[in-house]
Amino acid sequence: MWSYTFRRVLATIPTLLAVITVCYLLLHLTPGGPFDGERKVSAAVLANLQAKYHLDLPLWQQYLYYIKSLLQGDLGASFRYADWSVNDLVGKALPVSAAIGGGAIVISLFIGVALGIVAALRQNSLIDYFVMLLGNIGGAFPSFVLGPVLVMVFAIGLEWLPAGGWDDFSLRYMVLPIALLVFINISTIGRVMRGSMIEVLGSNFIRTARAKGLPMRTIVLRHALKPALMPVVSVIGPLAISSITAAVVTETVFGLPGLGKLIVNGAANRDYTLVLGLVVLVTVITVVLNLLVDLAYALLDPKIRY
Amino acid sequence: MSHNKSLRVAAAAVALAMAGTTGFAMAAQVPAGVKLAAKQELTRNTGSEPESLDPVLAESVPANTITADLFEGLTATDSFGKVMPGVAESWKQTSPTTWVFKLRKNAKWSDGSAVTASDFVYGWQRFVEPKTASPYASTYGIFIQNGKEITEGKKPASSLGVKAVDKYTLEVQTPYPVPFMPSLVANTQLAPLPKATIDKFGKDWTKPGKMVSNGAFALKDWQVNSKVVVEKNPQYWDLKNVQLAKITYLPIEDHNADVKLYESGENDWVLELPSGTYDKYKAQYPKEIRNAPFLGLRYYSLNNKDPLLKDVRVRKALSMVIDRDILAKKVTADGQAPAYSAIVAGTAGADVTSYDWAKWPMAKRVEEAKKLLAQAGVQPGTKLKFAYNTSDYHKKMAIFAASEWKSKLGLNTELESLEFKVLLKKRHDADYQIARNGWVADYNDATTFLALVQCDNDQNDNKNCNAKAEALIKQGSDTTDQAKRKQLFTQAVKMIMDDYPMIPLLQYTAPRLVKSYVGGYGKNPMDRYRGKDLYIIQH
Repeated sequence: MWSYTFRRVLATIPTLLAVITVCYLLLHLTPGGPFDGERKVSAAVLANLQAKYHLDLPLWQQYLYYIKSLLQGDLGASFRYADWSVNDLVGKALPVSAAIGGGAIVISLFIGVALGIVAALRQNSLIDYFVMLLGNIGGAFPSFVLGPVLVMVFAIGLEWLPAGGWDDFSLRYMVLPIALLVFINISTIGRVMRGSMIEVLGSNFIRTARAKGLPMRTIVLRHALKPALMPVVSVIGPLAISSITAAVVTETVFGLPGLGKLIVNGAANRDYTLVLGLVVLVTVITVVLNLLVDLAYALLDPKIRY
Repeated sequence: MSHNKSLRVAAAAVALAMAGTTGFAMAAQVPAGVKLAAKQELTRNTGSEPESLDPVLAESVPANTITADLFEGLTATDSFGKVMPGVAESWKQTSPTTWVFKLRKNAKWSDGSAVTASDFVYGWQRFVEPKTASPYASTYGIFIQNGKEITEGKKPASSLGVKAVDKYTLEVQTPYPVPFMPSLVANTQLAPLPKATIDKFGKDWTKPGKMVSNGAFALKDWQVNSKVVVEKNPQYWDLKNVQLAKITYLPIEDHNADVKLYESGENDWVLELPSGTYDKYKAQYPKEIRNAPFLGLRYYSLNNKDPLLKDVRVRKALSMVIDRDILAKKVTADGQAPAYSAIVAGTAGADVTSYDWAKWPMAKRVEEAKKLLAQAGVQPGTKLKFAYNTSDYHKKMAIFAASEWKSKLGLNTELESLEFKVLLKKRHDADYQIARNGWVADYNDATTFLALVQCDNDQNDNKNCNAKAEALIKQGSDTTDQAKRKQLFTQAVKMIMDDYPMIPLLQYTAPRLVKSYVGGYGKNPMDRYRGKDLYIIQH
């Protein structure tokens, strides 16, 4: 397994390089530059700005310059936020996104799996319908609708929690955004878990366990849970990636200083270095999470060996 | 804005004693009878993350708002847009191209050291230097002798026309008469800068714990994309007139989220209401709705080089049939006033011009417009191409304009919704036919708006040029007679607008919610509110 992990990590390098190169070219092909504003800067100022950020060099030289500083762990200077380096900006946004997205994924995993199991065991009962309804609401209503509803109820109506903002990982500011992401994620996890559990419960080895007279609790927790979790593990990877790196709507609704907002603003401002830095980060997170998912398969299914 | 041809100083040197002496009452004085709250803390949304807190790099509304509280220039503007003394106690135009500012001796940096004339010299030189790459260098720098050449790398920064005559006297040379100098130097890009701090920390000098500033407030905290917090600067020279102890600036971009924070009591100041909600919030919060016009123009650029639009009759017809009254009252419905000129109401240095047809009944306007199109050989069914940047507000206006052209002139408009930077690129490159445009004054003088329609100006997206008007503008810029200058500028604007280079539509207003307990909010033509002028009323 260790050599497998090592090979996977090694394979990340060409992936990363390919992603950076494609993204680099796409950014430079996009019309409009970082210094195009409603107030057009004069030719002299534009030349000064381009010189400051090495944009006056030929594209291949800029690229090499970027790769060189990347190898030294430097993601470069932000074109838009002059007082910060991309390392600063990413370093500040990542913990926020990790706390909100990561927290939401862990909570939704527990709730989603539990709801899925209950619904599967009480198939076509009121509880099942309720869980499915909840799941469908989370899946059908976009976060830009659910988010403001949460704000209306808990911040403006009941005045229990702040309507948005961020204050140094204060729990009060994290509750609503995490709740929103949990609500969205459990709809997927719950439905996948329900379907998979129903399938597993119908399989021969469960019938054998039942025939042996094992209590249902033991059957579910000891025998059915592990194989039923396989499809959930498959969806958890992409869910975690999107919750951490692409929770743009949630971040906008609650005014959170996370990665999603940085990516969107970076792209809108043509902040090349910021976008590239974030692409590097998202690629690394994706590769790591996918690797973790693959390793989790081996833990859950004894037939899988690396 | 930029003057492209160098402007000579009028030969007859007339020493002017205009403008500049002091004796004004200071700002931020709380009216008698108003009881102040014990907690003087304000939270206001500035709309997005400031791109920098370095005054010379500030470009956006948030950066300008925050740096104006952290730094103070020679002058400042109060909540009504009136120029007030800042670090300078008094000023005088000693020749058509020379201004002398006398600095107050009690102005201090937040570290307790004195603010001197050499801090201004350093700050201004840094502002125009090529390596600073300030986006505003070509906007304000051109008004200082050699500023333009320094930014272009043709002259050293030391040649800038600003000199510390002594510790508390600053002399400024301009390349041509700049009568609005006192208003210009209120901009924080022209604030003094703390050389020792900048030398010591480099780019990081704007961070909390490092920044030294001379304004009414000092930087306390800066959490990117979350908030900037400033607190009263105990070293500030006019401390007794500063009421607020703390200001928190939020970078909320989403208008709905902004209102939600306001309603839940976490924000005292909604920067901009969501499109189409003005009437609703006006009814809901009658005491909190604030809406004042400011020096900004919404307009549509017409590409004067376009095969169809190069004919003035076509441009005129397109402008005539847009009913600005309906646009203002029914479409945008947020208190904006119709505009028929490149100059908006309240601008110093030129009168607002208009068109005769603006008073005609619409039927007559349509009839005339149809005639013009017929003369120009434009058939009904001709296609127009209109580009705007994706936004509900712009879309609403664009659909209205397209329907006016369709229903009244039979012209078909293809609406193209573009991402902002793409639109900017197309506009700057004149790769469009009709495009949404807008402009907010940098300082209160007609020249900031004239830039939009002057020959070869960087800000002229219409690519129009009226040589005769250009000569009048040059003549006006060279004169030291203010009445004459105003008359020449007005005449030039009228002449240019009769060429229909663009379609002026509305004058900007700032419809927003500000809590009723926030005092000191005036009607400011520049829409700039300094923390120094604001206070919290007992509530």
